[in-house]
Amino acid sequence: MVYLHDGSFEGILSGIYKMFHAKAKIDEGKLYEASVYQQSFFELTLNVETERENAHRVASSIYESFGHEGFKYVYYAYLAEDDSYGTLLFRSLKQAYKIGHQAFDALGVEDIRLLTQMANKVSRESHLLLGLLRFVKLENGIYYAPFEPTQNVISILAQHFEERLADQVWVIHDTKRGIGAFYDKTQYHLAPLNSFESLQYARDEVAFQSLWKDYVKHIAIEARRNLPLQRQHMPKKYWQFLTEMK
Amino acid sequence: MEIYEKLRILADAAKYDVSCSSSGHQRGNANKQLGSTAAAGICHSWSEDGRCISLLKILYTNQCIYNCAYCVNRSSNDVKRAAFTPEEVVSLTINFYRRNYIEGLFLSSGIIKSPNHTMEQLIEVVKKLRTREGFNGYIHLKGIPGADESLINEAGLYVDRMSYNLELPTTKGLRLLAPDKERKQIIMPMQQVRDQMIAHRDMKKHLKSTPSFIPAGQSTQMIVGATDETDYHIIKIAEAMYRRLALKRVYYSAFVPGSTHPAVVERGRPPLNREHRIYQADWLLRFYGFKADEILTPDQPQLDLLLDPKCQWALNHMAYFPMEVNRVSYGALLRIPGIGVTSARRIVNARRFSALAYDDLKGIGVVLKRAKYFITCNGKYCGDGDVEPVYLRQKLLEPPKPEQLTLYQTHPEVFDESEATIRGLLT
Repeated sequence: MVYLHDGSFEGILSGIYKMFHAKAKIDEGKLYEASVYQQSFFELTLNVETERENAHRVASSIYESFGHEGFKYVYYAYLAEDDSYGTLLFRSLKQAYKIGHQAFDALGVEDIRLLTQMANKVSRESHLLLGLLRFVKLENGIYYAPFEPTQNVISILAQHFEERLADQVWVIHDTKRGIGAFYDKTQYHLAPLNSFESLQYARDEVAFQSLWKDYVKHIAIEARRNLPLQRQHMPKKYWQFLTEMK
Repeated sequence: MEIYEKLRILADAAKYDVSCSSSGHQRGNANKQLGSTAAAGICHSWSEDGRCISLLKILYTNQCIYNCAYCVNRSSNDVKRAAFTPEEVVSLTINFYRRNYIEGLFLSSGIIKSPNHTMEQLIEVVKKLRTREGFNGYIHLKGIPGADESLINEAGLYVDRMSYNLELPTTKGLRLLAPDKERKQIIMPMQQVRDQMIAHRDMKKHLKSTPSFIPAGQSTQMIVGATDETDYHIIKIAEAMYRRLALKRVYYSAFVPGSTHPAVVERGRPPLNREHRIYQADWLLRFYGFKADEILTPDQPQLDLLLDPKCQWALNHMAYFPMEVNRVSYGALLRIPGIGVTSARRIVNARRFSALAYDDLKGIGVVLKRAKYFITCNGKYCGDGDVEPVYLRQKLLEPPKPEQLTLYQTHPEVFDESEATIRGLLT
């Protein structure tokens, strides 16, 4: 049986709920996003309604069974936006519940290993972007940070900056996915956000940008120049949003 | 002088300080102020030399009354001098931080007038940042040797990390290259910091409101290759620093001969490979449970430049190998070349659920290029062929990077001679 969900995290967890409820077998249960799945003649499909309550039950079960760390693996792997995630999560959980509390350490189990690898990829990129995200100050005092992550990490970044830049109004904008994280000095929320035509910088913005560029240039030691190493740490795909590399 | 020029001069003057880490202390931000610190530290950019930029690393001023031979800022060196005002440093830090350029501030300084006077200036900056601006980001302050203990105690309340640079590994070297500095003068404040840290920690057990004192600990830095000490000497000193002074990090900086001075031997490119090997040895001391005397001995005082120190140790102790990855302890796993802290942890975690075969190791991300010669999985040896150290060494050596050699690199003497001949002809 192929279960289809709407692509949201809650939708996937609702699917997991239905699958466990129907006692789906590990090798037979599949879980895909409805819009991505290609109908096959031989497979039965079932559209799963996203139900908050069911999703919640699954989430708290994961949390209670595998702790904060375990839940983090499950959520981060979701952010990798991999089509195989739903089925992989189902298979991992099937086995994880048998193994017990520290199941996500059992890297000898292939499904669990693949899931943690997916999660680690998200972890790595989000950590890198915690440093590489650049805000520009706009005329109206809002700090604006556009970026295009490979994985959908905006919620992780928003959480970090909610604590860090707590006394300024900011917007983080995933221009590829059209999502914005808006923070108003109390909390942040995510909402769809289209691209801007043009933005007016604050009066001192250009000055600080060029001070920063100067700084980056001058802090390098000429005798140790090593551009490949620089690129290795800071892949070129991020450069278009980096003040100092423009 | 304009702020642009000051920043250029004082960044140039600060760049030979290696430390840029922002790790070691996690601070939340309870009152909706500005900033937080992450325990793991965060890199914000990488400069053209491939080094990470985490902190705004600047000198307060590059004017200096001392004349240390290895230092670009020595009083006899003909460089442009500049000095920030406290407000300028505060403004740069805050504005860079709000744009997420940096993780915090690394503030050092040349010595103006006296150590005490200099230290007071630095304290003014960090105090403004912490109290007036409510800044919670990372601050690393360079201690000024020779300043009063009361000043250290004050600074320690505002900063995350403090460091005194050892500069040169030996007293002899210091006397030769930095005649104004005394080793005692550098070690003493480090001891004071250590004692204060312990005192604050103890007090905190009884009184929760005790302020934290240099919560991310202290670090230091040594210049490698400016004088003639051996690697053995260097890592012995590092070990003593970690054990006796409870330092968090010792940094090593390959001497960059940009600042030519008669007392310093001119050696061309900085000995980067040597620096790299010393860092590897340092990691063995801190994370792998090695002792300095296991890595090197007085008879064999230099690290092998072609092979990492752990491989070197393993080849000298082949009796311990091959190790069975499913059985040996975490500490023993760490001794296997090619297996680091992450791999060892993964192995220990994963083998609780099922015995690991060679392919399982690959699957969980253990790099086996070197490790395979030193392990068995379920009793099966995974390397190929000979285990004689001599042959093994050949296999472990990294193949040289293909590089087009120029005639100059292979036979420099030809050019030197011909240049001399040409000069001779011209004069």
